[in-house]
Amino acid sequence: MEDVQVVAMLVRRCIAGDAAAWEEIVQNYNRRIYNICYRFAGSGDDAEDLTQEVFIKMYRTLSSYDHTKGAFVTWVTTITRNLLVDHFRKGKQDRMTDSIDTAASEHEDAQPLSEQIPDQSAPPDAHIRSREVSETVHSALAKLSPELREAVILRDLQDMDYREIATALRVPEGTVKSRINRGRAELARLLQRTYRQVM
Amino acid sequence: MSDQTSNGMHCNEFDLLLSDALDGVLTGAQLDRFQAHTRGCKACGPLFAEVEAGRNWLKGLTEVEPPASLVTNILASTTGVDTQRLRTVERAPQPGITWLERVQASVSGFMEPIWATVRQPRFAMSFGMAFFALSVGLTVAGVKPADLTKISLRPAAIRRTYYSTRAQVVHRYENIRFVYEVESRVREIKRNITPAEPAPAKPKDNKNDTTQQPEQKQERNYSQTDSHLILASAPLGPSVNDLPVVSVTTDRRFV
Ligand SMILES: [Zn+2]
Repeated sequence: MEDVQVVAMLVRRCIAGDAAAWEEIVQNYNRRIYNICYRFAGSGDDAEDLTQEVFIKMYRTLSSYDHTKGAFVTWVTTITRNLLVDHFRKGKQDRMTDSIDTAASEHEDAQPLSEQIPDQSAPPDAHIRSREVSETVHSALAKLSPELREAVILRDLQDMDYREIATALRVPEGTVKSRINRGRAELARLLQRTYRQVM
Repeated sequence: MSDQTSNGMHCNEFDLLLSDALDGVLTGAQLDRFQAHTRGCKACGPLFAEVEAGRNWLKGLTEVEPPASLVTNILASTTGVDTQRLRTVERAPQPGITWLERVQASVSGFMEPIWATVRQPRFAMSFGMAFFALSVGLTVAGVKPADLTKISLRPAAIRRTYYSTRAQVVHRYENIRFVYEVESRVREIKRNITPAEPAPAKPKDNKNDTTQQPEQKQERNYSQTDSHLILASAPLGPSVNDLPVVSVTTDRRFV
């Protein structure tokens, strides 16, 4: 995914005060970090703020990156993930579900996703239709508990391998796999329920 | 998930192998056992379908485009300096523009207000007359234009040059009306310059106590920029702070 030597050099230049090197890092990783934040936080505005916070934290702690201990992208993802967890633990966490079971029972009553499902009787344009589906999946993702959500985001949206995810989340690989399974299954149940209600 | 063994595989093992199975990395006997458990276990069979469906939903999500301002904002909030550099890159200099034109463009930015004042007929008249008087004075004092290049523009040197030049002019033409003409012009300049002092309490000069008269107010506005002109139009001056001394000296000598 990344050339270890190239990135290590980039980081060294950055620490030495090379503004161009830092800009290159920002250019290379802002999209990835923004997407993780967007999928985790749910809103574009939050994602923008959080991405900035991640880079501020990266900028301050860049000298602590050790390329012999892992890929830079894993380090970046770990910082992102820790910041997201800290951020949502502070306030917004209250609204989130803690387990698959509570999530299921809550959403059975609330039916929040069905409101976003387009009217099936009208044949919509394929592009609009796929965008609406994406928004529905995105909303369902926000209803997963944070630990399941982060696992599936890193695996299915960021294509990280289990070892990297285990490093970023500081849990064993077995736990990572288990969370991914539960996260995917829970998402499928939420969406299945939603579409069944509409149809 | 139920805690059972079905077709030689425990449900916990199934759970561990599920990701690998979906990734397509399970092979041989392990894959056979996994598939057999999926078919035979009432809990794991539906779970496999759900997990696969969930993965497919997620894979359908495409990357979103970050806001265009994101990189600029990140750089501003981290280094700050880079934002300036980015903006410079965005406004890359167009080919064919000489350095002189670029200097003119940059100078015209802050010179424009001053130049606008200079163009006003009233100021242009004063300025023109002052310049005329000075050039005549220098000519009769025997200063050739070529000598001007040798003039030191340090404030002390300017003062010295001014005194010696004026001494010669006064000596030769003390009783001539022309001198009065020159002096009256300089006085006029002085009137324009004096109120430029920012102090709200005006000096004894009654002519400046004209707060009720719009016409006179306008004159004060001119004079405020007059002092700026003197500062800005002396580009070789070593210190801006020293420059007003020249005009103050002029006032003291002539009034
Ligand atoms: Zn089973």
